[in-house]
Parts: sequence; structure tokens; C-alpha cells
Amino acid sequence: MRRAFRSRAVGAILGLALVVSACGSGDGAVDGDPIKIGSFNFNESVIVAEIYAQGLEANGYTVERQLNLGNREVVKPALESGEIDLVPEYTGSVAGFLGAEQSADPDTTWEAAKTAFEELGVTLLAFSPAQDKNAYVVTAETADQYGLAKVSDLQPVASELIFGGPPECPERPLCLQGLEEVYGLEFAEFVALDAAGPITVAALDGGEIDVALLFSTQGIIAANGWISLDDDMGLNPAENLVPAIRVEVVDAYGDDLVALLDSFSEALTTEDLTELNKRADLDQEDPALLAGEWLTTNGFIEG
Amino acid sequence: MVWESIREFLADPATWSGPGSIWARLAEHILVSIAAVVIAAVLVLPMAVWLGHVRKGSDIATAVVNIGRAVPSFGILAIAFMLLVQIGEGIRKPWAVLITLVLLAAPPMFTNTVAGIQTVEAWTLESARGMGLTEGEVLRRVELPLSMPLIMEGVRIAFVQVIATATLGALVSWGGLGRFIVDGFAQQDMGQLIVGAVLVGVLAIVAELGFSAVQRATTPRGLRVAR
Repeated sequence: MRRAFRSRAVGAILGLALVVSACGSGDGAVDGDPIKIGSFNFNESVIVAEIYAQGLEANGYTVERQLNLGNREVVKPALESGEIDLVPEYTGSVAGFLGAEQSADPDTTWEAAKTAFEELGVTLLAFSPAQDKNAYVVTAETADQYGLAKVSDLQPVASELIFGGPPECPERPLCLQGLEEVYGLEFAEFVALDAAGPITVAALDGGEIDVALLFSTQGIIAANGWISLDDDMGLNPAENLVPAIRVEVVDAYGDDLVALLDSFSEALTTEDLTELNKRADLDQEDPALLAGEWLTTNGFIEG
Repeated sequence: MVWESIREFLADPATWSGPGSIWARLAEHILVSIAAVVIAAVLVLPMAVWLGHVRKGSDIATAVVNIGRAVPSFGILAIAFMLLVQIGEGIRKPWAVLITLVLLAAPPMFTNTVAGIQTVEAWTLESARGMGLTEGEVLRRVELPLSMPLIMEGVRIAFVQVIATATLGALVSWGGLGRFIVDGFAQQDMGQLIVGAVLVGVLAIVAELGFSAVQRATTPRGLRVAR
């Protein structure tokens, strides 16, 4: 479990080196206040935020990074108050968090989330085809033992199983609340761990929990031969990656900024996310470097 | 809004009964804190008493307390937790927290004990030996009683630090009062967070006062300051 202790300092230095080099290759600076980019506290969010950051820098924008801030309970107020300007969001989760309608349809969910967010001075740009949903994951042994393939298969056995997820899970509609309301699942016990991070992975790996809340794009699921249970009753809405950005920043920078961020979203796929996550989580590659590599591969910056 | 949130948390029946109640968390917290201090005392006090008696340990004592200050409790906790998970003893078990707290509690007790015994004046020891006391008697009847205030001071410092630090356990799935702080923070439930933080503070103060009383009671009459 070395990955938990990876030196952030190395990442920071490498990231800084990239910043410096990216600034050098920019074609003329864009005037205006720095764009403050935030992220949630897991690798995927940091990588996508770095894609935004390095991609903008390469085009002459000045950015400030405030990555790994925390969960949505921390990030949303920061965005509202202007402590950060831009963050990679997920359409379904943010819609649910704002009390807006969520559905399996990406357009409807995006529209609902955007409308709700704009009342708070934040808007959503065009969403990416890339999705990352909450995944209810069991080990292959557990799946065999109880004959699990779908989430509804848990119904007869949930009362014997221990569920592990982030501490906010019991209060979240897409976590324990939804599992109880939509599937009628009442687990023997809930254990508060982390947001699909090393603690949750270790707990499932060590057999100390039976069902874990992970993210569908996490490379560890396939790498360990774990089973992501099929959400057969449609608890999870569409979860497309989308830049959430303060309206005043969009107004200040205009269409060029929007077009640039849209081009990143358009190019990003679910497969890219899964691959980037695997390399960050399992191979312990630096999120900033991975983001730079993705931008180069996709022709946004010169290699 | 904050008061409302606190009232709501306190009005919830789950706050007062069941495995996640304040009482259960308080009991876990106190139990692990006492266990950590007792284990640390058993591990380091005999060695510290001996080093103090032979007047050899002052360099070691300084080194120990310096290392103790430098060791990050959260780092130890994370490492211990990850290792224990591999053998199936990590989740919701107190062992990782206990290891961390023992390492936290040991340095102040060690240092205070060595220093305490060494502060007994040389002429006092000479008189004791001159009266025919054996080395064991010198230790038991002269050095230990005279250094007891400093030794208990070390235990008190250790215990208060342990109570404050045991909150970290909630970050690696264990219970204790830290659970309210970590969950309250994650759920943005200010009431839960504040109640948790206040409880830890109150517990630390109670421990501090309790130990002051113990310290007074274990101070030999001759050393007591008249009040």
C-alpha cells in the first residue's frame, strides 16, 4: 500500500517544472485575473483539473491551482464564494447535491444541474462524453459466494454484509440513502473510510468490508478482478465530466475560454479516464505529468 | 444556524444510544487513551527509573523527547493502519491508534522520569547511603518519592496529548470522539462537528484536572507547597 505515501513534494516540483515550461511555450499572455482551479480529493479530479490548468496555461492564461480540496461539501461553497473559479464536476452528483433532477439521460441531468447552479453564480459548460459513476464493488470471492452480479442481488444478503464508503455516504442520495430507498438495502454495518481511496481499497482487499463504494473508472477494479455490480434499478444518473465555472469568469474571458475548455471536454473519454486513473492509482504516476501527457497526445500542447 | 445544527444533533436519539452514541464514543476514546498511557508506562518507566538512578540517561532523555516531538502521529497511524489491514486487523479496530498513541505517550514519561530522579540532590543521596540504606532502598524510599511530582507530570502531559490525538483514529475508520469531527466535517454537519470538538476539549480538561489531583496526592508531604 505504498501508494498512500507517495511524496506530494515530488509531484509539486514536477508540476511546477511543467508550469514553467508550459508558460514558456504559450503564444502571448491573456490579460485578466488568474483563474483559480480547484479539484476534489481523488486522483481523477486532480488529473482533469490539471488538464484544465495546463491546457489554459499553454494558451496564455494565468491559473492558480487549489487541488485536492476535499469532497463536494467543501468544493461547492468554495466555488460559490469565489475562492475557486473552475472545478471538474460530475453532472449527476452535482445535480443531486443541488437538489435538481437527475436521470440516466446526460442532457436532462446537465440541463437541470446547470439551471440550479446558475442561481448560485456558477455555470456548467458543455459536458464531456467521459463518465465516472459510483460503483458498488465486491471481490470475486464475495460475488461467487452470494451469487452477485447486480446491485439487486444484494437484497437477500445485505443484512449479513458490511458496506464501506466515505464518511458522507450515509447522507448521500447516491450512496447509502439511495441504496436503501431504491434497492431497499440495509447493510449489517456501515464503515466510514475514504472517498474510494487507499483506505477503502485496502479494506476491500483485506476482506474487512464486503461491499465498497468505488468509482467506475478506477483501474484497481479490473486489476484485482473485482466485480462492479450492475446498477440494474438505475440509481445512478448520468455522470458526465463537466467544467463548473463561475459565471463572472466566463463573462470576463468570453468565448475563447469556453471554446478551449469545451475542446478538452470533447476529447476526453471514459477509456482515457480509466487509463489515467490506473496509471495514477496503481503505477503511482504523477497526476500533473499524466495531464500533460494527455494534452500532448491529444494535440493541445506541443510535446 | 450553528445553534440549530447543534440542537438538531443533540435531539437525534442516535446521538444518545447505540454504537455510534456519544457514550459509546466517549468510552472508546477514554479506554484507548488509558490503555496507551498504561502500556507506554510499562514499556518505558522501568528503564527510565534505572537510567535516572545510575545517572546516565540525560543525553538519551533529551534525544528521546526530541525524536518524540518530531515523529508525526498521523504518519505513524497511516503506516500502522495499512500494515494491520494486510493481516485483517485494521478496520474499526483500535490497534493502529493504540500503537500511535503509545509512541506519543512514551517520550514525555521517559524524559520526565529520568530528569526527575536525577534532580534529587547528591547530598540527599549521600545522607541516605550514610544512614545505611541499600541502593534499592535509596531508589524506593528517597529517589522515587522525591521525583514523584515530575514523574506524574510526565504522565499527565502524555495523557492529555493522547486524548487530543486519539481523534485521528476516525480518519482510519476507528471510532472515538474523532468520529463526530470527521463525520461532521465530511457531511458538513456543523452541530456534530462542534459537539465532537467540544467533547474532546472537555475530556482533555477533565483529565488535566484529575491528574493535578493525583499529582498532589502522590507528592510527599515534605515537598508539598503550603496553600
